[in-house]
Amino acid sequence: MATAGADLIRQMAAGDRQAFALFYDRHAPVVFPLILRIVRERADASDVLQEVFWEAWRDAEGYDPSRGSPEAWMITRARTRAIDRVRATRRRSETFVAPLDEALAAAPADPAGDAAERAADRGTIRSALGRLPDAQREVIELAYYAGLTQTEIADRIKQPLGTVKTRIRLGLERLRDVVKTSP
Amino acid sequence: MTHEPFDTLAATYALGALDGDERAQFERHLAGGCDVCEETLRESAEALAALARAEPRAILPPEVKDALLRRIAATTSPRLERPQPRPLVWAVATLAAMIAGAAFTGTFVASRYEGRLGQMAREAAALRARVQQDEAALREQIAVYQAAVDLLRDPTTRVVTLHGLGPSPEATGRVIWHPVSGGHVFVANLPAAPAGSAYELWTIGDGAPQPAGLFRVDASGRGTHRIAAVQGKPVKVFAVTIEPEAGVPAPTGPMVLASK
Repeated sequence: MATAGADLIRQMAAGDRQAFALFYDRHAPVVFPLILRIVRERADASDVLQEVFWEAWRDAEGYDPSRGSPEAWMITRARTRAIDRVRATRRRSETFVAPLDEALAAAPADPAGDAAERAADRGTIRSALGRLPDAQREVIELAYYAGLTQTEIADRIKQPLGTVKTRIRLGLERLRDVVKTSP
Repeated sequence: MTHEPFDTLAATYALGALDGDERAQFERHLAGGCDVCEETLRESAEALAALARAEPRAILPPEVKDALLRRIAATTSPRLERPQPRPLVWAVATLAAMIAGAAFTGTFVASRYEGRLGQMAREAAALRARVQQDEAALREQIAVYQAAVDLLRDPTTRVVTLHGLGPSPEATGRVIWHPVSGGHVFVANLPAAPAGSAYELWTIGDGAPQPAGLFRVDASGRGTHRIAAVQGKPVKVFAVTIEPEAGVPAPTGPMVLASK
């Protein structure tokens, strides 16, 4: 699975448009909900989705499999671009609006055969984030979904910077453990 | 030596939350080569990817994939099918292609849009003429209102009510009248005058009615007309009749509005 994904990126780097179409079909269903959760507006999310895949096509040569799976590569890009978009919007409007999860719609059935596996995975991870102490979950969510830096988080939750750092480290350690031990 | 500060920095960096000097410090550390931090970053990215996978699914925007494939087809030639040209050849070929492309595009665009531009210019000219007309009409209207307001400030100005009569009982009107400066008549609910005719206003003192000008009403039944000052005897009555559109020196048609 992972090798097949890396192969697709190599083919994209070689200019294979069909490989790109497959790559899109495989990763867009995972990447888009994350973008939507971060930017909230469907039209914005659609723009970001296109930008992220365009950059993946352009930068396919730069992909290094030793640094992570193709999915992690795409998700990191998607999250970064989505946060860029939110920051740009926030600069324009000077307001911050809390995430609206109800913007997310239920999707049609997973075309890939591993729907059940993915659903199980989702359950594990969601509960993993849910099992984190609230204080750790809060800082991770503020950083990852709202794009706040450690200093901004400390301001927001009125805690010393050192406390924020520790919570981030402990929270991420626990998340890493869950992912490593889940099949 | 403990690696601890960098563990925290790596986790925060992976979340995109590292800022300020610490970010620069960590990036220097990473650039120096650190397997431990690389591993932390890699595992953190996978853990965060797992968070993204845990998001509820959303319906994909259907147009994005096609848009991307079109974009790719438009801007890249398949890199697979050709051997890598040497840089100079490549540069010259690119330059030649750019020049040819620009020339072609230029010609194409010029011929395609010349006609359209001509049409747009004509439309713009027509629009400008209409705007100028509208502006002139508005200025005229404002001048009338301004004059009426100025008259109303004068204590010797009277406001006279006109009542509908005969063919147009619904019609109403007001005359703002100053004994020295003259005034304005404002009418409403007055149907358009029959073809070939117009409304004529009369001022009546002690003697025969004096003609005070012709006016028309708009589609909503409203009209405004400036009344010149009247020499001699003060005006007691204002009246409106339907007359031939050239106007007559003495009333001949039916009376549609009159003051009491």
